[in-house]
Parts: sequence; C-alpha cells; structure tokens
Amino acid sequence: MPDWKTLIAARFPKLQMNPAREKEILDEFSQHLDDRFRELRSEGKSEHEAMRLAIDEIEDPDLEKEMKTLRQSFDSLPIAPGAPSRHLTADIGRDVIYAIRTLCRQPSFALAAILTLALGIGVNTAIFSLVNGMLLRHLPVQNRDRLVYLYTRQNLSVLSYPAYKTLRDNNQSTEKLAAWGLIQASLNAEGETDLVLGAIVTGNFFDALGVRPERGRLLGMDDDLKPGAHPVAVISDRLWRTRFGERTDIVGHEIRLNGQPFTVVGITPPEFPSAQLGVNRDLYVPMMMQALMRPPRAGYSGEMDPDLLNNANNGWLYSLALLKPEGTAAQAAEELSAVATSYAKSRSANARPQQVTLVPIDDGDPASRQQMRSVATLLLAVVGTILVIACANVANLLLSKAVSRRRELAVRLAVGANRWRIVRQLLTESILLSVTGGAAGVALAFAIVEAFKIALPASGVLPIAVEFSIDMRVLIFTFVLSFVTGIVFGLLPALQASNPNVAPTLKDESFVPDERGRRIRLKQSLVVAEIAMTAVLLVAAGLFIRSLLKSQQVDPGVAANELLSAPLNINLLRYTRTQGRDFYKNVIDRVSALPGVVSASVARVAVLTGGGRILTISIEGQQPATDQRLSEARGISAVDRDTASANVVSPEFLKTMGIALVQGRNFTLDDAEGRPRVALVSETFVRRFFPNGDAIGKRFRTPPVDNPEWTEIVGIVRDSKYGSLNEEPQPVVYLPIRQQHETGVTLYVRTSTSPESLIAIVRHEIQQLEPNLPVPDIQTMNQTIAASLYVPRMAAWLIGILGTLAMILTSLGVYGVLSFAISRRTRELGIRMALGADSGKVLRLVIREGMLLLALGLAVGMTGAAFFTMTLSGFLFGVDTHDLTTFVTVPLVLTFVAFAACYLPARRAIGVDPIKAIREV
Amino acid sequence: MKHISQMHMRELKKGSAELLVLSLVEDRARHGYEIGKLIEARSAGRLRFKVASLYPLLYRLEERGWIKGQWMEKAGERRRRFYRITRAGRQVLAAQKNNWLEFVDAIRHITGIENA
Repeated sequence: MPDWKTLIAARFPKLQMNPAREKEILDEFSQHLDDRFRELRSEGKSEHEAMRLAIDEIEDPDLEKEMKTLRQSFDSLPIAPGAPSRHLTADIGRDVIYAIRTLCRQPSFALAAILTLALGIGVNTAIFSLVNGMLLRHLPVQNRDRLVYLYTRQNLSVLSYPAYKTLRDNNQSTEKLAAWGLIQASLNAEGETDLVLGAIVTGNFFDALGVRPERGRLLGMDDDLKPGAHPVAVISDRLWRTRFGERTDIVGHEIRLNGQPFTVVGITPPEFPSAQLGVNRDLYVPMMMQALMRPPRAGYSGEMDPDLLNNANNGWLYSLALLKPEGTAAQAAEELSAVATSYAKSRSANARPQQVTLVPIDDGDPASRQQMRSVATLLLAVVGTILVIACANVANLLLSKAVSRRRELAVRLAVGANRWRIVRQLLTESILLSVTGGAAGVALAFAIVEAFKIALPASGVLPIAVEFSIDMRVLIFTFVLSFVTGIVFGLLPALQASNPNVAPTLKDESFVPDERGRRIRLKQSLVVAEIAMTAVLLVAAGLFIRSLLKSQQVDPGVAANELLSAPLNINLLRYTRTQGRDFYKNVIDRVSALPGVVSASVARVAVLTGGGRILTISIEGQQPATDQRLSEARGISAVDRDTASANVVSPEFLKTMGIALVQGRNFTLDDAEGRPRVALVSETFVRRFFPNGDAIGKRFRTPPVDNPEWTEIVGIVRDSKYGSLNEEPQPVVYLPIRQQHETGVTLYVRTSTSPESLIAIVRHEIQQLEPNLPVPDIQTMNQTIAASLYVPRMAAWLIGILGTLAMILTSLGVYGVLSFAISRRTRELGIRMALGADSGKVLRLVIREGMLLLALGLAVGMTGAAFFTMTLSGFLFGVDTHDLTTFVTVPLVLTFVAFAACYLPARRAIGVDPIKAIREV
Repeated sequence: MKHISQMHMRELKKGSAELLVLSLVEDRARHGYEIGKLIEARSAGRLRFKVASLYPLLYRLEERGWIKGQWMEKAGERRRRFYRITRAGRQVLAAQKNNWLEFVDAIRHITGIENA
C-alpha cells in the first residue's frame, strides 16, 4: 500500500496550523486517497495508474488557496501551549494573554503570589533608592574625569588663602585650581531673617566644575578682583523655591546678607548641591567679600585677624582642581606636593614635607564613602535575603499549583506539544506574576520612602544629607529585578511541571512515589533554606536591637532631663571681643533670672552632637608633642596619645551641665584675659597624662611648638560624654571663655521644671537682646541625645522590621509545605487512622515532620549567623557579635512560630474522616 | 447536458455545493469519500468533487456549525471521520431547499422549461 501521508506531505502546502489539526487533515486526505486507490484497482487499473489517478485528486492549484482561506479560522481555535512558534512577538503576545487568563482563573493564588512578591521587591526598591541616593549619584559637573579634590592625609586639605594662591599660580598641571570655604550667613529678605548655609568661592569655582546657571549667571573671575567690591550672590534653586517663592524677578533682586545689601545675580541648577555631594549649600558669594561674609571665628589658634585673605596662618579653604588633559593625576599630585612643601619651608625652615593627594571628584570623601558602602552592603544583603525567601514561597505555591494542572499539561505533552514551548508559557506566567508584584512593590517602595523621609532627623544630625529618590535608575532596577525574580522562582516548577514522564499522571494516580517524592523534597529544601535565612536575619535584628538598648542605657554624664541648648552664632554680627563678651554675660544673666531656670552657661562645643575640637598637649617636663595643627571637624576623637578633646566654657558650665568637680577649683570671673591661663581637665585626661594621679598645679601648652604660654590645671572634673554616647571615655580639657573668646557657642540652660516649657521664653530673651541674631534650633538635651542615636535606632527598627517580615514569610512557607504534604497524604493518613492509629499519633507525625524541617533550617541558619555577625562588629555598641542572649532567643522564637505553623495543618490531618479519605482518589 | 460548459458547471456547483452536502448527511453521518461518491453517483457522473473542493467545503461547513465531524472506528474498518448534520445545519438546509425550489420555479415560469 502506498505511503499516502508522505506523498501528500510532499505536495500539500504547509499549513502551519495547530499540529493536531494538521495531522487530522492529513489523515483524512490519506483515507480518501486510499479509498480512491482501492476503487481504481477494483476497476482494473494497474497499481501505478491507480496511484497516479489518486494523487491527481490533490494536484489541484485551488487546494492551497482553499485551505489558506480556512487557515485563518483554524488559528482562532483556543491556543494550546506547545503549539509551534510562528512569529516570536505574536507568540509571546499569545503567551501573555494565555497567562493572564490562567491567572484570572486562580485569583487567590495569584493574589498571594503577587503580594508576597510585592513585599520582597518593594523593600529592595526602597533600599536601592537609598543606595542610589548615597552612592550612585554623582555631582552634576562636566569633565568629571579631570576634576579632583585636594587632600592631605585623610581629609580635604585646609588651606590659607595665600597658600591657595601659591598653589594656583605655581603649577603646570592644572587648568583651573579653585577654592571654597563653608559659611553661615544671616539672610534678610522678604521681611524675615534666617540663617543660611553657604559657600564663599573663588572666581573660577563654577567654571572649574562646569556648572551652568538655571537663571541669570554664576560667579566668575570678574567677581574676584577687589576685596569688598563685589556685593553679588548666587542662590540655590531650593532657596529660590522655598524662600523667594520662585519669583520671576529674582535676578537683580536685592537682599541683605549679614546686614549688608547684596544683589542676586543667578541661581544654581536644582541638582547641584555644592562642591560636595551630600553637602547642600544655598548661597554662594565671591571670595573677595570675605571680610563681610567670613568673619574670623576666634578659636584657640587665634583666628582674630579679620583679613583672612592675607593671613597665612589660618587654613579655612577647601580646594579642587581641573587637571589639564595631557597630564596624569599622579604627576599633578607630585607637582602640587612640591609646591606646597616649598611654600611651607619658605614660612618655617623646620616645616615638614607636604603631601598632596588628589581624589577624583566622583569618589567623594573616602571615609564617609567607605562607611556608606558598608551600610549599603548590609542593607542590600538583608533585603536581598527577604526577596529570596519571598521567591521560595512563591516557588512553593507554583509547585503546588502545578499538581492541579498536571493533567492538562500531560495531555498536551502526549499529543506532541513542544516541552520548551510549555516551559516558556509557564515562565511567562511566573514573569507576569513577578512584574505585577514588582509594580505593586514600587508603590510600596514609595510609601516606605515617604515614611523614611518623615522619620529623618533635622539636618545636621547625620553627617551627610541622605537622599532618597525613586528615579529612572531605580525603576529600571526594579523592572530587571522583577523579571529575573520571575525566572528564578518559575524555572524549577516549570521544568518539573513539563516533565515528559507523564504516563503515571495520565493514569491519574495520586500515589506516584517517585515524582511526588521528588516534588515534596524540593519544597522541603526550599523551606529549610527559608528558615535558615530567616534565622540569620533575626539574629542580626536581635543584635541591633540589643545594641540600641545598650546605647539608650548609657549615662551621658550630664543632667539630660533638665537641659536646654540654643546655638548662638555671633560671628555673623561681627561683634568686637568686648561686645561679644558682654553679650554672653547679658544672655547668661537674663536667662538665669527666669523663673524655672537654675543656671545658664555657654560652651564652644555642643556636647553629644558629634562635633569637637582637638588639642595637641605638651605637658611641662614631659616629651614635647610633634607640631600638629589643631583641627575642628566632625567625628574626630583624640585617639592619638598626645591629644585631648577641648571645650571652651563659661564658669557656670559645671553647675549647668551637672558635671561634678572632683578635685581642685572651678573657673571664676577672675580667670579672664590677661590673667594666667588656667584649665579644668577630665579624669581620663589625668589617667592618660598623669598616671600617678597628681595633676593639680601642673602645666601644659599647645602648638605652635614655640608657644610661650603655659596653661595651669586648676581642677579635675568627672568624665562625661563629649561627642557621642558610644565613645570611649575621652581626655577633655576645659578652657575659660573669658581667656579664649569664641564667636560661635551653644547656650545651655539648666531648668527646675520641664525644659520644653521654657523653650519659647528663652528664645524670646535672646531675641530681645539681639534681634538680628537668628536662633534656629532650641532643643532639650534629651532631644539631642535621641538625635545622636538616630542611626542605631533606625538600624534596629529597619532590621527588626525586615527580620519580622522574613519570619512571617517563612512561617507561611512552612504552613504551605505542610498543608501540601498532608493533602497529598490524605489517603495514607486515612488508612492509618482506619487501622487504629489514634489522632494523637497522627498529630505527632505531622508536627515531627515540621520540626525536622525547623531543626535542619536552624542548624544551617545559626551556623551561618555565627559567621555573618562577625561582619557587624562595626555597627554594634556594647554587644558582642556572638551575644548569647540573641543566639538563644532566636531559635526559641523560630521554634514557637514554626510550631504554630505546623499546628493548623496537623489539626486538619486528624480531622480527616478515614472512610472518606480512603474513598478519595 | 453535454452542452453545459465547464464554466457554467463550476458556477452552478458553487452555488449548490452546501445544499448537496447538507442533504446527504441529513439522514445519517457519512465520511468524506462517501459523500463525494454519492454526489457523483446520484448526479450520474455530472457532478464530481475532488479532494481540493470537497474537504475545504466540509471544513467550512463544520466551522459554521452546520455539520460536525467526528473520528469513529467501526468494527472491522479503519478509523474515519464521519460528518453529521447539526440542528443549525437542518435549519439552513430547510431554508436552502426552499430557496432552490423558488428559484427553479421562477426560471421555469420565465423560460417555460418543464420539469423532466
């Protein structure tokens, strides 16, 4: 008999329709030709002739045309996964529609999966937006590959103006060398006076950075010619919006800065913070206006000379450079170091060689960047783990769902559907779930970010301005993450479900040991992994929480419950020394006289704000210290052997702060200018510099090395916290403000009633005395302490919440796996109970299964935690990385939660009616 | 009848094909080959449907829901696809029969052709 199918296929146009249908048509045509052939043979035709005539039936040019018109309608038959592809985009489109239909038929499953994914992806998006703001943003400048900061050692180099000019004029490596200083100014405009943060800049500053104005113009070389002759200012976009109401005539508008008229000439673009990322400045004035805009801040180094432009003794400028294209940074650094060294030697023959390092502008401040990087890594690791747990849960859901679809897929595979096409279809479903979850996650992330923004402390508490932004980069990240997530959790279930070994499924046996066993083992492994990851997260959360609690218990060493603080920046008013001293006295007298006030004093360094001042100490009769400049910066503690933290205070300081005098005497009004210099020191200072304990009457001095003035120690005070609650006890030196005039101090007020109640009246008293002084922030000491604990508090909250989230997801996972396992074993359990097993035994059986998963998960998890927590030591205070309490509590909590998750399925198991179970297939 | 040209025959076939198929499966289900043979036999060889015209027609009728095809395996025979008329098909058949009768009547009245 001829092979009709082959003969037909050779002549038949390829219809490219549903393969099952095409096969049918082929069969039918073969039948017809066969019947025709037999008929012709029975009429006496030869085999060859009969074949020829039979084939003739399909040799018709109209056949293809006729079948083509039908093809359209064949195609509108319901799509079956496994149909061969035609056009990729059309196929993917069909896959998506099919996936939507399938998911709509299972709304509760789809909802559970989408919500789980939304949680996992949402927290990742929120944290990534933080990382984006902290690390991935760049200063919006041009030629960033040639822009560098000048650093000496670890910090931005601090130059005097003459030093800057020398560097600028004596090098061949830089196209432009610019400098800027940070200032505060009192801004009087629209009838109000505020304090604004700004920068005083050289004429080439904006040029070097390549910044373009949003409106008007920026400062240029023409504004940098003659001291005092350029009363112009540039403001930030933010200031223009918030302070000037976006007025369209801002360019040319007159304002008053520190009491003098200035003209606004332009606005910086919105995304430009200042010369440093994270440091926001709202005002830029020309360097030549230094006398007015950057008055000297009298410090221990004696920055009293009002003409800082010609004073070579005071370093107060930061600088950056635009390198020439032809050289390298290394060459430039070498040249600049040589210039700096020769300059230093020209001023003092003993000067040490100066080392200038050039840090690319995109690297920012190395120290804080390093810190941000470790924070970012930790947070991303945590939220990444949560996403993995969420994926595991959804994968488990899919595995369960696949069971109910196994007949459908088995049939399709049996009629010849392509396995990979089916896998593609199932992956489309997973990706659809994850992208939908991702979209919901973005909405969640917005909410999280808003919550964070509200919870952020006032500026100044955190070392840099934290930016969150859900910008295009974050959205792309989310989309890619969602897509990958869908593949990650969908692939394994898809491969499982499309397994060609489908025969047992078609026979509809629910008791297929091999396949079922494999599926259950997979689900169990996923849950064990979830438990392990959750254990690690909970341990981390526990450590952070304990660290926070320890911090909160630290004794600050001052009367925190009864203190107010108010910053007083009188350098903006350019008082003379006498005026300044009188002002302090008047403020203290007036405030002390208020009802409810016990005492008041002023201090240069505001305690527990992270700020500070360091002095190098040379004790009389001891080895002199090396010539180190004193520096005033955030976060520096006196770790060097020869240094101490310093504060400059009025005589009432000890009484106001509640710091006890241990030995000797306090400052008096006699300790004034012209009298022998005196100091109080802390107990730790004594321990460090006078190990035999005898400090009263001893003398020390501070740089420069040939400083003739000795300071005598007249009293020893109790240790108290200086910069932060978490610090080690500091050696502190207190100097009397009447011998060491300061122009920027904090007023402290000790109250007998609640400090909050006196805030308004204290502000009123200050402004009565000096209406031109902006008093931005009056706080209670408790508020200051709370702000200083912001980071550990946020960390504990954040990781605590994330750990709890992980725990909830995991317990759902445990519940899901056990429910599934039980539902598959309904028959077996029914048989057991019919055979006399009591319900208690069945209960124990089920719970034992769950607890076994828990035990495995805990074993892996706690071991992992022991390793992981070693990386957290930098973040913790007062808590060991292997804190026993935490390592014991977490397994107990997880055991309790896992037990609860086991219990419900277990109860269901014993509720099984044995007869029904046996009958059930 | 020999004078009927090929072209005319094609046109007439087209117009009546559906009617022919529906009436042949009105009483019982038949497979494609059988339908083709019956048409040839009952028209005394004047009408012949080859594969190229018969099966597309059957599929079209099936799409419209006037007939329904089903694979059946009868004892001692090969598996074949049998077509039977549906309820919708019966309604269409009745309407088409009416149309033809009216048409033929009209032609007769105009031309005076008597029924053979």
